[in-house]
Amino acid sequence: MALLDVRDLKTHFFTREGVVHAVDGVSFSVDRGRTLGIVGESGCGKSVTALSIMGLIPKPPAKIVAGEVVFDGRDLTKLGERQLESVRGREIAMIFQDPMTSLNPTLTIGTQITETIKRHFDLSNERARKRAVELLEEVRIPNAASRLDDYPHRYSGGMRQRVMIAIALSCNPMLLIADEPTTALDVTVQAQVLDLLDELRESHDMAMILITHDMGVVAETADEVIVMYAGQVVEQAPVLELFDHPEHPYTEALLGALPQIEGERIREARLTAIPGRPPDLVSPPPACRFAPRCPHAGGDSCTETMPELRELRSGHWVRSAHPTSERAGRPVGASA
Amino acid sequence: MVVQPGEVTRDVGGPGAYAGTAAGAPIRQTSLWRDAWYRYIRNRAAVLAGVVFLVVLAYCLVWPAVSPYDPYKVDFSQARQNPSLDHPLGTDRFGRDMLTRTALGGRVSIGIGFAATIVILVIGVAYGAISGFIGGILDNGMMRFLDALYGLPYLPFAIITLAIIGDINFWSMTVALAIASWFTTARIVRGQVITLKENDYIRATRAIGARWYRILLRHILPNTLGVLIIAVFLELPAVVLGEAFLSFIGLGISPPEASWGAMAQEGREVYRTSPHLIVIPSVAIAVLVLCANFVADGLRDALDPRTRET
Repeated sequence: MALLDVRDLKTHFFTREGVVHAVDGVSFSVDRGRTLGIVGESGCGKSVTALSIMGLIPKPPAKIVAGEVVFDGRDLTKLGERQLESVRGREIAMIFQDPMTSLNPTLTIGTQITETIKRHFDLSNERARKRAVELLEEVRIPNAASRLDDYPHRYSGGMRQRVMIAIALSCNPMLLIADEPTTALDVTVQAQVLDLLDELRESHDMAMILITHDMGVVAETADEVIVMYAGQVVEQAPVLELFDHPEHPYTEALLGALPQIEGERIREARLTAIPGRPPDLVSPPPACRFAPRCPHAGGDSCTETMPELRELRSGHWVRSAHPTSERAGRPVGASA
Repeated sequence: MVVQPGEVTRDVGGPGAYAGTAAGAPIRQTSLWRDAWYRYIRNRAAVLAGVVFLVVLAYCLVWPAVSPYDPYKVDFSQARQNPSLDHPLGTDRFGRDMLTRTALGGRVSIGIGFAATIVILVIGVAYGAISGFIGGILDNGMMRFLDALYGLPYLPFAIITLAIIGDINFWSMTVALAIASWFTTARIVRGQVITLKENDYIRATRAIGARWYRILLRHILPNTLGVLIIAVFLELPAVVLGEAFLSFIGLGISPPEASWGAMAQEGREVYRTSPHLIVIPSVAIAVLVLCANFVADGLRDALDPRTRET
């Protein structure tokens, strides 16, 4: 059985302008020790999905209106706040996007690491401190013991993200959710942090959900990838399959927008942009949500009814009326 | 007259210095105290006010103990003397040394000021923190209640509270003045808590499974300290003035005890013949209030660089 099984999750925001369908029927599962990548542009519901799993969505205005989040046999959406609190940090840990603002500036690094350990384990101050030093060493902070009493402003961005990782790992969680862990970092530091994350995931035998808008990050780290668009999963496939044979026009477009700087297929053409903007999630069209921006839409049902997520090949799911492999010979923009 | 603190933030020197060059709020906040100190000592008016404030405080605390005169001993042969070498501030109509009486009155005035400010902080922080942290309907209700209280005039509110308590002494005046003036502090704290609880590190703290009281007490309230320090120096003069007013109209400390307001009240009756008896306590009140306001101003500029240069 999968460690985490998200079934038909719907998280809506009830705002003055109307109901925002931020996450609208998302299903996926993560096996023990595996990494799932979730990609998509800003506002597609990646982060809300993650926060929904943790029960950290701001309510009100947000509410999980339907679906289940089955983690290790329990439906987290049915747990009370007290029970969720003992899952958070202990069984599911989370790393956030901006390490510069994710640490409390008024507490020392040591306090913030031991806080987590002491929250979930009955350890003495001394033992917790020892554990904190080990954790800092594990995420390769030099002179860990002497840096424990430093305040966050003495740490660089990359180091702070390492501290966040140390905090996340401190209770040996089964699942780590990393919400854009490298977005706020320099490219060189990004690579180091990603390598570290992957290495630690392996040594701690954790599963990981890696949320990003960076296709490169996904390619490097994930086993399985889901592509989200406007609150829905539009494509799901193993990582190599997705990069080699993207089926959904949106995935194709995303890959087309990725600069290639090495390898056989160096793109000589310009990077392609996706025209238009993502749909308004207050009143999304009943049709395929990508249709208004899709070069292949038109002339059939996909502008009127929502395509279902279907398994095109084993393990490769797509939500489109015109996946690449079925489009052979069909001219782009036919009868649109 | 005041060095603009704006120009000095980037070259203050010391370990706090690089805070000025880096972007991002957390860096500014962490070296806040050292940085704020440098900014504060550049503000001459605030430094002077702070020094005078401390001198007045020390005088009130120490002088009655070392003074050669008994502040309570009535001696009509010495009554209503003008300032002289023996009595630098003269004597009152009972022949008591004014320098000693003023220090004694200051103890009560400043004492009530600080005590009431502490009560204000306790009530204000608790009310504001709960309201802001829980939010929603409760917050709305608590804030509307506060709005209603705001509508009541300050001194009549204090007088009625005093009447309800029934007994007039140091502690009943403290309670009455505090109950009439904790609203602003509650609002300030609520505003701070609402801003702080949206911070990323609060979300991160929730993500490690921390309980609400730990988030509130360990992660949010310490970050409101800067604002609270300013609130102390804003509330203190208001309370001192309130106490002086109540004592002046005869609802405060009664003889033979002294407070600055009560002394001014006594002096009022003889202001034609011995004007120093009303001038001295009035000047004392004015100096204290002015100093506290300047200190509050300096602290606000030092602790929150964004509100400078208005």
